[in-house]
Amino acid sequence: MTVNAEGGRPTPIIELRHVEKHYGDLHVLRDVCLEVDKGEVLVVVGPSGSGKSTMCRTINRLETIDSGEILIEGEPLPQEGKELTRMRAELGMVFQSFNLFSHMTILDNVTLGPREVLGMGREEAEAQAMELLARVGVAEQARKVPAQLSGGQQQRAAIARSLAMRPKAMMFDEPTSALDPEMINEVLDVMVELARGGMTMVVVTHEMNFARRVADRVVFMADGQIVEQAPPDRFFDHPESQRAQDFLNSIKGH
Amino acid sequence: MKTPPASGSMRDALYEAPGPRTRRRVAIGTAISAVVVAALLALVVRQFAVTGQLAPRYWSFFLEWTTWRFLLQGLVGTVEVALVAGAISLVLGLLLMLGRTSGVRPLAAVCRVVTDFFRGVPSLLLIYFFFLVVPQYGIKMPSFWMLTLPVALAASGVLAEVFRAGVNAVPKGQVEAALSIGLSRAQTMRRIVLPQAIRYVVPSLIAQLVVVVKDTTVAYVVSYPDLMQNARVLITSHDSLVSIYLVIAVVYVLINFAINQLAAVVSRRTGAKIIR
Amino acid sequence: MGLAELLGTYGQNYLDGLLVTWGMTAVSFVFVMAIAVLVTVMRVSPFAPLRFVGDLYVQVFRNIPGVALLMIVAYALPYLRVILDWRTCAIVTTILLGSAFGSENFMSGINTIGVGQIEAARSLGLSFSQILRRIVIPQALRATVLPMTNLLIAVMLTTALGSQVPMTPEELTGVVSYVNTRSVGGILAFLVSALGYLATAFVISLAGNRIDKRVRVLR
Repeated sequence: MTVNAEGGRPTPIIELRHVEKHYGDLHVLRDVCLEVDKGEVLVVVGPSGSGKSTMCRTINRLETIDSGEILIEGEPLPQEGKELTRMRAELGMVFQSFNLFSHMTILDNVTLGPREVLGMGREEAEAQAMELLARVGVAEQARKVPAQLSGGQQQRAAIARSLAMRPKAMMFDEPTSALDPEMINEVLDVMVELARGGMTMVVVTHEMNFARRVADRVVFMADGQIVEQAPPDRFFDHPESQRAQDFLNSIKGH
Repeated sequence: MKTPPASGSMRDALYEAPGPRTRRRVAIGTAISAVVVAALLALVVRQFAVTGQLAPRYWSFFLEWTTWRFLLQGLVGTVEVALVAGAISLVLGLLLMLGRTSGVRPLAAVCRVVTDFFRGVPSLLLIYFFFLVVPQYGIKMPSFWMLTLPVALAASGVLAEVFRAGVNAVPKGQVEAALSIGLSRAQTMRRIVLPQAIRYVVPSLIAQLVVVVKDTTVAYVVSYPDLMQNARVLITSHDSLVSIYLVIAVVYVLINFAINQLAAVVSRRTGAKIIR
Repeated sequence: MGLAELLGTYGQNYLDGLLVTWGMTAVSFVFVMAIAVLVTVMRVSPFAPLRFVGDLYVQVFRNIPGVALLMIVAYALPYLRVILDWRTCAIVTTILLGSAFGSENFMSGINTIGVGQIEAARSLGLSFSQILRRIVIPQALRATVLPMTNLLIAVMLTTALGSQVPMTPEELTGVVSYVNTRSVGGILAFLVSALGYLATAFVISLAGNRIDKRVRVLR
C-alpha cells in the first residue's frame, strides 16, 4: 500500500480538494473537500439539488469542474485521451436509470468493457460475465435484452457490468431512485454484499437504512457544500448542524 | 457542457467537455476545414467567372422592379395553387382517414387503397393523368385545375396518414370515457377524438405545405403561370438562364425553409411531433 | 384502347420503363446513402465550418423543389462547363434531394440514443471511437431502417423527374406521356405505370418491415 510522505497515512483512493462548479448562475459545488480510503463505504445524503449527484459524477469526469483538484490514488484526474479512459476503466459507475446498452443482450453488456477496453478474449469475458451475473442473481436473463428485464434486474445487471472491469472503487448515483419499492431491496442486497467484500464505494442515496447499516462514513451535503461528515450512528442520532437536523426530521415522516 | 444535459441536441452530447489537447485539435481541424470550405467556394465562384456568368448583363435586371413584379405575379399563382390544393387535400385527407377508420369494411378498404395509391405514385404521374388522360374523355379543364387537382390528390394520401397518426395519438381512455357517458361512435369521433387529433397534427399539416409548394413547380407542364413558369419566360426575354434559375431556386428554398421553421416552432410550442 | 392492345403496342416501353425506374432508383439510393453518411459525419463533427456546410446542404436540398433543381443541373450547369447526359442529370438531382432527407434520418436516429447510453460507455473507459462504433452507430442504424425504407420509396418516386428531360428509354412516368402523345391510351395507360410504382413500393416496404422487426431496439 502506498503511503503519503507527510502523514504516514495511506493515500486515499479518491480525493477532492476545494472543488468548485457552476451551472451558469447556479453554484452547484462549493469548496468540496473529500477523501475516500481504500475499502471505505461512503454514503452521501442530502436534500435533492444539494449537488451530491454532481459531485459523484465529477469523480470520473462525467462532469467537469471549474476549479479545485480531483486525485485518484494521488494522481490528478486526467482531462482527456487514453489516460482518462484508463482511469475511468478503474472506477465503476452505477446510474439511477441503469443505462444498460439497449441494443445488446445482458451478456454483451457485461462483456463489452472487458473485451473492448481490457482486451480480454471472448471466452474469458463471457465466463467472467456469467459468474458475475450469477452473483447478482440474473444469470438466467443473460441472453435477453435490457427492455425484457425488470428495473431491479436491470440495475443488478448494471452492477455486474461495472464489476466486470474489476474496478478499484465504485460510484453509485442514486441506484434505487428509479425502482419500484418492491425491487429496491434486491439491489441494496447486492450492494451490501459488495461492501462486505471490501469494495471501496461512494453511494449517493436516499435509503437511510442502507446508510445506517453499511456506511463507514455518512457525508451530508446541502446547497453544494459538505455540511457534515460522521460515522452513521453519530450522524443519525446526534447530527451536529441545524441543516442536517432539519433534513433528518423532514424525512422521518416517511 | 455548461448547461445540464437533457436539453441540447445529441450531436453535442456525443462529445465531452474537451481537455486542452482536444481543444487544440478541434481548433486546428476547424481552421483546416474553414480553409477547405473557402477554397471550394472560391473554385465555384471562379468557374462562374471564367464562363462569363458573373457578367453584369446576367444580373443587372434583378435590380429592376419590373423583373420582380413579374416574378411576384408568378408567386401569386404559386400561392393560389398551393392554398387551394392544400385546402382540398385537407378535406380529402380527412375524409379518407374517416372512411378508413369507420369500421365499415368495404368503405375502409376502398379508402385504404385510395390513400396508398396517392401516396405511392409520383405526383408527376398524377399531373400527366390530368394533362394527357382526362382530356381524352372529353373533359376540358382550365390549366389551374389541371395543376391543382393532382397536387391536391398527392397530398391527400399523405394527409390521410397524418390524420390517422393523430387519431391514434389520442389516448384510448378518452374514447372509453366518451362511450361510457353514452356518446355514439360518431359523436365520440366528432366531439372528443377529432378535436384532439387535429391539434396534434397541426405542425405536420404545416410541414406538408412544403411538399405542396414543391409539387406546384411542374406548372409549366400545363402552362399555368406560377413562379417557375414566369421564370422560364424571363429566361427567354433576358437570355439569361443560370442567374434566373439560381435566384428562383433560392426563392423556393427560402419559402419552404420559412414554412418548415413555422412548423417547427408550432411543434415546439404544442409539443406535437412532426409526422412526415 | 383495351389492355391487350395497349400492352401489345407499348408493352416493351412499359417494361423498359419499369427497368429504367428500378435501375435509376438503385443507383440513386446507393449514392444517397453514401452522401447522407458523409453529410451526417460533417454535421456531427466538432468542426464548426463542416457543421455549417452540412446543415446548409440539408436545408437547401430538402427545401428546393425537384423540378427547380433538375433545371439547374440539366440546363444551368452546361453554361458552367459541367455537362452531364440527361439520365445522369435526373439521377444527380435525385441523389442531391434524397441525401438531404437521408442525413435527416440519420440525425434523428442519433437523437433516439439517450445521453445515459454514452455516459455509461464513457464510465466503462470506452474511447470516443469505440463509443461511436459499438454504441452510437449500431443504435442509430437500427432506428433508421423504417425511415430509410420510406426514403427508398421516395427516391423511386423522385426518379419520375426523368420524365422532364429527354431520355431513351424513358422511365415509367415518361412512358405515360410517350404513349399518350402517340395514341389515346386512356386511363389504362396511366394505371399500368402507376401499378409499376405501387407494386415496387409494396415489395420495398414489406422487406423494410421485416428487417425492422429483426433489428429494432426495444426500449
